[in-house]
Parts: sequence; structure tokens; C-alpha cells
Amino acid sequence: MSPWAAHDRPFLDPAVVARLGTLELKARTIVEGFLSGLHRSPFKGFSVEFAEYRQYIPGDDLSTIDWKVYARSDRYYIKKFEEETNLDCHLLLDVSGSMGYGGHHGMTKFEYGAVLAASLGYLMNRQRDAVGLTAFDENIVSMLPASARPGHLMALLVTLDRLRTGRMTNVSKPLHQLANTLTKRGIVVLISDLLDDPDEVIRGLKHFQFRGIDVIVFHILDHDEIEFPFERATRFQDLETDEEIMAVPGAVRAHYLHEIGALIERYRRELGAHGIDYQLLDTNRPLELALLSYLSTRSRAY
Amino acid sequence: MLSFLSPLFLAGAAAAAIPVILHLLKKEPEARVQFAAVKLLKKAPVEHTQRRRLRELILLALRVAALVLLALAFARPFFASGAASTSTGVTVVALDTSYSMSAPGRFERARQLAKDAIARAPANDLVAVVTFADDAQIAMKPGTDRVLAASAIDEAAAGFGATRYRAALSAAGQNLAGRRGTIVVVTDLQENGWDAGDRATVPEGTRIEVADVGAAPSNLAVTAVRPLADRIVASVHNGGDRPREARVHLAIDGRAAGDAVVPLGPNQSADATFAGAPRGAAAVVRVEDPGGIAADNVRYALIGGLTRPSVLVVTGSGDMTREAFYVQHALAAGTPGNAAFQVSGVSGAQLSSWTDDRVAPHAAVFVLSTRGLERRGRELLSTYARTGGGLLIAAGADVDGDIVADVLGTGSTLRIVTVENAKPAARALAPADVRHPIFQAFSGNATTLGLVRFDRASRIAGSGCQTLARFTTGDAAFLECPAGDGRALVLAADLDNKWSDFPLHATFVPFLHEIVGYLASARAHASDYVIADAPAGVKKEPGIATIAVATQGAATRQIAVNVDARESDPSRISIEEFKSAVTQMKEAAGAEARVEARQQEDRQHLWQYAVALMVMLLAAEGVLAARTA
Repeated sequence: MSPWAAHDRPFLDPAVVARLGTLELKARTIVEGFLSGLHRSPFKGFSVEFAEYRQYIPGDDLSTIDWKVYARSDRYYIKKFEEETNLDCHLLLDVSGSMGYGGHHGMTKFEYGAVLAASLGYLMNRQRDAVGLTAFDENIVSMLPASARPGHLMALLVTLDRLRTGRMTNVSKPLHQLANTLTKRGIVVLISDLLDDPDEVIRGLKHFQFRGIDVIVFHILDHDEIEFPFERATRFQDLETDEEIMAVPGAVRAHYLHEIGALIERYRRELGAHGIDYQLLDTNRPLELALLSYLSTRSRAY
Repeated sequence: MLSFLSPLFLAGAAAAAIPVILHLLKKEPEARVQFAAVKLLKKAPVEHTQRRRLRELILLALRVAALVLLALAFARPFFASGAASTSTGVTVVALDTSYSMSAPGRFERARQLAKDAIARAPANDLVAVVTFADDAQIAMKPGTDRVLAASAIDEAAAGFGATRYRAALSAAGQNLAGRRGTIVVVTDLQENGWDAGDRATVPEGTRIEVADVGAAPSNLAVTAVRPLADRIVASVHNGGDRPREARVHLAIDGRAAGDAVVPLGPNQSADATFAGAPRGAAAVVRVEDPGGIAADNVRYALIGGLTRPSVLVVTGSGDMTREAFYVQHALAAGTPGNAAFQVSGVSGAQLSSWTDDRVAPHAAVFVLSTRGLERRGRELLSTYARTGGGLLIAAGADVDGDIVADVLGTGSTLRIVTVENAKPAARALAPADVRHPIFQAFSGNATTLGLVRFDRASRIAGSGCQTLARFTTGDAAFLECPAGDGRALVLAADLDNKWSDFPLHATFVPFLHEIVGYLASARAHASDYVIADAPAGVKKEPGIATIAVATQGAATRQIAVNVDARESDPSRISIEEFKSAVTQMKEAAGAEARVEARQQEDRQHLWQYAVALMVMLLAAEGVLAARTA
């Protein structure tokens, strides 16, 4: 059974997240909820520098309790450490026209991607990792260098808030540009619908690999794009090119599902083969899964 | 050409727009979707889409066609037969063939006017020819052949009938059959062509044109022949506007029996008297008039049966002088030596000993008293009335309502109640309908009857009786009740001067004479007919004719048939006066055409084919829709 089954869903529904106010609130709600829901954090020992004592509260790891302090004061205190980061994390958000699609589920792919980027940024910032943001369509639209400063998160959120969907997609070009600028090892998180030439996309991602940078790909697709639930004869207009195609869904559904399935499978197979984490995200599904995937990759790498 | 019985239902075909509108409404706003992965759709089989669209278009067409066919079926379509197309106009030429047109050269002119009207008719119009006198005949039904129309006009000839415009316009209107049209009346515009108060109706929108043949030439006419006991009197009329001398000749049974010369002023009548008791069967009076109308120059009369019409008066005692003084003298009144009616009196008791044969010859029977009228007498009177006789019952003090009801038979609803010792109350007589034959003579001055003062009256009523006159109190004064083949008139007062002063008024004599004339007319014993009223089987021309007597086996009798003397009257009306007597009736418009259209539609049943086709289309739609879905 999937961990987000309806009867014991631990994560927030994207439709609920969409109704939350600011991007910061969304990110904090997701991340705090996500972290507090983890009964036993496997991601301990990130930092080495002592920061402060804090009184024990139920749920804290018992291993963090300072027994010496307990012997002296008869109270439970846990040690908190200042994390020392040496990890640069780059969020690459696709803002091309195709990301503007949203079915009947509350969030467009762009909004979903932006919330995901904000959540990841929040999480990274919370963990004292340096986080940067690059938004692109066929070119780089906006770029925020990676930083771990406390005020940087706000800059990141403001940048995300100001982003709007653009026009054409060209994933590979910005990937190559970014790969050339990165000097420090780190993690690149690509958030895109990957509706581009797969060969080019994969080549661009492999460029990071070549530079020794770990890559996580969040392939965001709307539920409509995965299921193709249309019924009546429909005139489909391309969000980027305005090209129109008149199609009867009943007649083209099988072909379309085969095509999209083949695309997903190809990304999954080829990216996996190159050690790139690939995560398909339906905009219907909780964002926490993406965070889980990120943390899994981070812990594996560092 | 396809026509419709209920074209309003065609508006229902607008419902065919519903699927189209739904299709368009559904199509545009709903079906446009902005989509990201369009490039993945590009490789999809487009042919299927086109094929599907074609199928949808066919489906749409089938649905629209089914709705249109349904509307079509309700509109009851039919193929109108070629000539009956209502979009074509019709020109109907009504040609007067009355005998006033028979003066030399007049009918030729009428023919020419009629042909001119045909020639003037619009090129696309159908033409029809109607000839008319007392009644109208269709000489040519609406058609396109103008030569045939001209030929029909050539074949027409003036006859012996009198002008009746109403018949002509009615027949011409029927020929229009709901189409727009023109009626051209070719006539000499005689005033007598319209009866008093007569009006004709034609379909709305019909144009009336009058082609005037012109005034009749100077004409002499024999307007009446009265064989009397000791002489024959012929009335001769000069219709011209200058004095003339009429040479009148009498022939009896084909032999010349006398000549007379009568000087006549302009528009004047005079009698030519041929002295001597006529011996023979039939008299023919002829006037010399070579330049005038030929048909009215001769008049026929029967000499046989010249006895005066007799009236039987039933009183209590049979003493006419005492009980029916005024009636006796009023009926006998006439020109000196020539009493209008032969009056005989009988008591109710005496009547019981009479036979049917003795009662039957009387033109009318006046019942002034039912005293002594036994069963036998009542049966005699009842038989007389049932066989067409006329009874006048003066419901005075001596008349018993039960006995009268007995006389009139079991079906009679007449009730007479005589109020004994009623307080006298003055009342006057008011005719209910002055057009009734009895009151027509008073129509010029009907108020003179109102001068009669009735102090007492019986109450008379009968559900099957027609009220001819009422008292000023509102009670019925004069009833006509059916009695077998005959008539019974009931006056709610006596004919003496006990209850009223009627006998003392000048109207008393003509009133009784009109009553006798009216009662007598119910019996088929008239011997003088005008052509229009001649019995069936008698040739429609002047002369002495022999007809069978229906009630008397193989017996025959002779009748004199003459032209209607009114036709000799040269008085004319203007074209405007003629047109003013024609009413354009909306209801009349197209009534004939509608009947014809309904009959055609009934024969063709095209709506059934439309419904069958609609069912087939819907079946095809069902199959195709299932496959498309």
C-alpha cells in the first residue's frame, strides 16, 4: 500500500497547499509537517559545532540527550549542533509555457513546481545547506546564486514569487549553461515537465554528472497529461506554439497514453542508468514525496 | 406544385435549427483546451478524426432532416394540380344573357366586350366564362386557352331569363377558387338585376369591373294578360322615352282573335282590351316591336278555369250576413262586376255533411267559429290542410282552442286560450317581419296596420309556429303554423268589429286578400309561371306547357310560362351603384380552394410518406449514433 493512501494520509494534499497564502507559508507548512511526521530521523549528525542546549520534548531522539546534564540537574536536555554545510544545492525550475497547464486539481505544473522549489529551499536552508535557484524556459530567466545565509531563503521565496511562465521550452540549453558555471560539487534539482527532446535533456543532465554534481529530476506532469481523461471531441491548443489539433479523445487516447508512457519510461530508464534520480510527480500527489526523495538522495551522497 | 394544407406548421421546421445550434454551442466553448503535450498528439491517427467528423455531420443532417420531415408532415403537403395553382390570377367574364340583351345588335356588342375583357386579361392569368340570367352557367372553367374562351362567348346567346347579378357574382366568385382575380360583368346594368336589399358576396381582394352594353333601345312589352269572363285585358308598357302607338294582336288557340291599337306615352303602361267572352284554351297577346326586345313582345295566358278563386267561410250558423259581414264584403271586393274572390259560407254543423271533394276546390278556408263543428267536419278541414290547403283561424270568442288543435292534427303545438270577461285594453298590431308575403303589400306604409285598435285578443302560442305579428303588448297576434302540406294562419282576434275596429280600416281588405293569396299559393294549382319559377321539366322558354299533376295519377294540366315582366323595365343603375351592392367577404375567400386543397391532400397522403421517411431516417440515425459513440 502506498504511504499516502487516503485512510492514513500523512501528507498534505496539493489542493490544500494551493489554498495556503504565501509561498513561505506553503513551504514551511510542508517542510515542518514533513519533518515532524518523521518519528525517527535518519538524517542525524549533519553538524559538528555545538550550538545550544534545549529542554527535551517528547519525540526527540534519546541519543541526543546529554546524560551529564541530567546527572547534574535531574532534567533532560538535548544538545543542539550548528550545522556546517559544504553542500551547494541548485534548484532548476522550468518556467516554460507548457508548465502553465493545470487541469481541474487546483495547481498548475508551474505552481506545483514553485511550491516544490520553495519547500526544498526551506528544507535546505533549515539544514544549513546553500541553496540557489535558476529559472529557465528556453533561456535562463532568473538566477539566484547558492547561499546558506539566513536571509537568503526570503530572497529565494521572493524570486519564486515573481516568476511567471514564459514561452518555449529548451531544457538542455540552460542545463549546459548552468553546468558550465558550477564549480563546486553539490546537488542539482531539476523541476520540469521535460516536454522537450529527451536526447537533449538527458545530454544536458549528463553534463552535470560529468562535472561531479548529483542530479535529482522531478518530472512534473498534470494528472490530465498522465490519464488523458478528455471525453468530447476537443481542439487542443499548444500552450507554447499555439498550434491546434482537433482530436476525438476516444480515438487518440490509446496512442497518447502510449506516447507519454514511453517518454516517462525512457527518462526513468536512461536517467537511472546514468545514476540520476528520477521522480515522476503527478500534481495530484503530495509534495512531501519529493522532499523524501531529495533527502534520500542527499543522504546517499553525503 | 407543392402546397400545404396547414402551412403554419412549417414554422416547426425551425426546430431543425436546434440540433445545429446545440452542435455549434457545444462545439466552440467546450472543446477548446490549452494543452501542454500537443506534440504527443500530433502522431495520433488523424484520419479517424476526420471520419468521425464526417459521421457527426451525417448524424446532424439526419436529425435535422427528421425534424424538417416531421414539420412537413404536420403541414399536410400535397401537389396542387396544375391549373389550380393559387398563385395564378383568374379573370372571369360574366356575360349577361337575359332577354333584355336580345334587342338587335346588343348581344353582339356584349360578345365583343366580353372578348375584349379576355384579351385584356394579364398574360399569366387563367380565364373563365360564366353566362347568367336567372341563374348562372359556367361556359368555360378557368383555363389558359383564350381561343376556347372566345369560342364559349360566341356560343352564348341571349335567352328568356331575367337578370340576376347575385347568381352571376356567386358563380364567378366560386370560379376564383381562392385565387386573386377579376370579375368582368358584361351587362346592360338593369336596376331590376338586384332584388330589393339584395347583395352579392365575392372573395376578398376580387376586382369587379363592369362592361356596360348600354341602355336598352326603345321597347314595347306585353307585361300582363288577364283573361276575364267577358274580355281579355293585356297590359302593354312603353319602355322608350318617346310616345308610341302599340299595335296589339290577340290569338286564341292559334287563331287571330282581335287587334288593338294603344297609344302610349314615354315610360307608360296601358291596357288593351279585347271584348267578348273568350272561348278556347290559351290566349297569346303579341305587340309589334321590331326594334325592341323580342322576348317580351309575346305573353301567354290560359283561358280555362277562369272561375274566381273561392273562399269557404265557416261560421256558427252559416249566416254570412250576420256572422261574417265584413269578411264576405272584403273578399268580394274587386273591380266592378269582377269580385276578387267567390265567397261561400257554411256552418260547422253543415260542414259535417260535406265531402273532401267539396272542400278541396276552395283556395282558402276561413274558420270564424268552431261552434257545431263535429268530428266529421274537423276531419274534413284537417284533410284539406294536410293536402296543401290553407286555413285562416280567427281566434275570436266563437273559436275553441281544443277544436282548432284537433283540426291541425296531433303534431300541432298551437294553443288558443280565450280569456272570458277580460278587461278591454287597447293594443295595436306590429308585423314581426315586413318581408313576409302577407305584409309585403304594406311594406311601403306598414304603420297603417298599426292604426288598427284591438280591444280584446286571445292568447295564442305554439312552439312550431312562426310569429308573423305581435300586439304592442308583446303578445303574439298572428301566427303561421304548419299543417301537413298546407298552412294555417291564426289571428288572435275575430274578423268582426266586436274585438277590434279592423274591418273599419282600409287595410282590412288588402290584408284579407293577401292572406288568401298566401294561403292559396301553398296549393300547386297556379297556372301562370315566369320562366325562373317554372316547374321542373318545363322548357325554359315562354309558351303553353303541359305538366303532370302529381296527386292525380296520369292527369295533366296546362300552364302558361312567360318571361319575367320586370326584365322589360329599362331602368338602369350606375357602375358605382352596382359595385356598392357587392360585398367582399373574407370568409368566402378561398373556401372553395380550401375544400379542393383538402380533397387533394386526402387523395395524396403525402404526410404519411414524410412520416415513414422520418422513421427511416431516425432508425439510420440510431444505428450511426451507436457506432459513433
